Amino acid sequence: MSLGREQAGQVQQRPAKNTSKAMMAYLERATKHEEFMRKQVHEFEIGKRHLANMMGEDPEHFTQEDVDRAIEYLFPTGIFDKKARPKMRHPTEVFPQQKAAQFDATGRPFHTLFYTLKPNFYMTLYELVEKMNQLDRLQAKNDALGKLPDITQKLSLLGSEWLDIEELGKMLVETLKEPQYQEFVRAMNRLVEHPLAYHHKDFIFKYRKMLRVSNETDTVPELLFDSAGRPYMEATGYRKRAVARAVVHGRGSGRVTVNGLPLVHYCHRDGGRSGNQDVAQYDGPTQRYHGKRRRGHRKRTSFVPEPWKRPHPVQAPSSQAGAVRHAVSLALRSFVDKEMQETMRLAGLLTRDVRERERYKPGKKGSRKGRTWKKR
Amino acid sequence: MDELKNDNQHAMSLYRSAVRLLPACLRVTSRRALVTSSARTKDHDLHLPTPAGPLGTWATLKPRPEKYVDTEADIDPSVTDPLRHPDYFGVRQLFTMSDLFDARVHLGHREGSLNPYMAEFLLGSRLGHCVFDLERTAQLLRDALNFTTHIAYRGGIIMFVCRSPQHVHMVERTAMECGEFSHCRHWPPGVFTDSTALFGGVTRLPDLLVLLNTLDTVLEQHGAVKHAAKMLIPTVGVVDSNCDPRLVTYPVPGNDDSTTAVRLYCKLFSEAIRRGKAEREKSAVV
Repeated sequence: MSLGREQAGQVQQRPAKNTSKAMMAYLERATKHEEFMRKQVHEFEIGKRHLANMMGEDPEHFTQEDVDRAIEYLFPTGIFDKKARPKMRHPTEVFPQQKAAQFDATGRPFHTLFYTLKPNFYMTLYELVEKMNQLDRLQAKNDALGKLPDITQKLSLLGSEWLDIEELGKMLVETLKEPQYQEFVRAMNRLVEHPLAYHHKDFIFKYRKMLRVSNETDTVPELLFDSAGRPYMEATGYRKRAVARAVVHGRGSGRVTVNGLPLVHYCHRDGGRSGNQDVAQYDGPTQRYHGKRRRGHRKRTSFVPEPWKRPHPVQAPSSQAGAVRHAVSLALRSFVDKEMQETMRLAGLLTRDVRERERYKPGKKGSRKGRTWKKR
Repeated sequence: MDELKNDNQHAMSLYRSAVRLLPACLRVTSRRALVTSSARTKDHDLHLPTPAGPLGTWATLKPRPEKYVDTEADIDPSVTDPLRHPDYFGVRQLFTMSDLFDARVHLGHREGSLNPYMAEFLLGSRLGHCVFDLERTAQLLRDALNFTTHIAYRGGIIMFVCRSPQHVHMVERTAMECGEFSHCRHWPPGVFTDSTALFGGVTRLPDLLVLLNTLDTVLEQHGAVKHAAKMLIPTVGVVDSNCDPRLVTYPVPGNDDSTTAVRLYCKLFSEAIRRGKAEREKSAVV
């Protein structure tokens, strides 16, 4: 009696003499599915070659990344949801994995828990209880010998969490319902609470996913050095449609220039200055640095609306200042210690402010304001 | 055989002495005339159907007509048809009355929860607790084990069902060890009646259901009893005093709550299945 998990397998070519109705039906279904998949894979491969030719690239060495890039180029879309955007993937990724034959030629199932409709899931629960009983017996034996559980090996679940319902379902190739998942989590927590749970560490961690400790994209870059040996850092900051490129030099004079002009000349309004003052407050000895900043704006690649709705070509002062603040803060990260970096992050200086101008809607004056309401 | 008889006699003597301890007012003269209401409930009579007759269980009827059973049959396979032999696999040797007594199979629930159709299987009640007639239980258990062994001999799919949480693990392990199937989890209504939709294709259903507890966790009858009856799947079920035995093909009246009793049933049924399969291997019957 096989108790293992189902793997996608080959279809039996020749049915046995006494083939049950169940097996005949399964063979029919399986051959149909295999035929369908073969056709889909063939179409995908041909499509990939056509795409490569369209893009003027070598069809033999056209990888999935190239395919994704080509699709993005040929079908530009402004759809917000990434899952709704057009994509071209291998059929095995698109169509759900089907379980192999669950029973033999006589129709007798392989898995002992086949009739529960979720054999893999309930087998997991069975194994869990089996391990609990094992640990209880071991504990009884240890108590008789006066042995205590090993504290050094105590399980630490920090930095990991249980697989969620979808991930668990994918792992077991079975869709689970919420009450079943809750039962699973409760049972696993009970196993983990056992003082001797470390004996079954592999089993427990099979159903746990490690949480990312830190964001990989947030590695602070190392300081660069110019010809004179002075450290400096470049960074780009954004706010609305404004782009600012900041170069911060260490062991500097404390002078700040923006597009060649001194800071005071550029920031003639309060909106412009506030952002930079915030940065200065946090980074105390700003006098040690001096910075050069350049402002610009980012062009939209999609359709351009009527003149009165187009964004200001050079952007308003406060968004420019916000971009500058972002750029300077990112550059200053390399100069300061981890504690200060964390303080800056908590202050929100390092976060790109994603707030953009809300679009105009027909029937409204702008994005929200409505037309005059008349009672009659 | 003689030893067995002695064992049985010893167990019976123990049993009879226990019965003698029952107060005279509760002891029944004839098994069929059992009245479940004690002196306290004289005012409201329980209207019980007469066990004898068409309203009784299958167990009250003769299991099979005598002309099909060859009681003088030898156990020589070349001569005897297994189906004509009263006990081809010798399942009566698997247990004794004292085994049943030690495993507390005779202990039922309280009088208040007694199902009227279980009344015929009781000796009576003692201090409000129902007591099963082990002679009757033994006879029915032998029939059930015999039937199970025959199904296993013919390569049938046997499925164990038990919803009491403390026994789920034991029953699943029993099923695994004897190479059969189990369903001790939540029972979706369409498993048998809508199997093609639920399993995603035509599936072969079990040929026998062995229920070690015919009730669900909410103390309603398990859906499998009704659905198996609908799909003409025979059932073997341990029926306690609060269970309804009418739809179970081979009811085995006895305790379904004590772990010792369930352990005994698991042992007996797995041994019966193993015997049937061993015989199947030997004779290579299709």
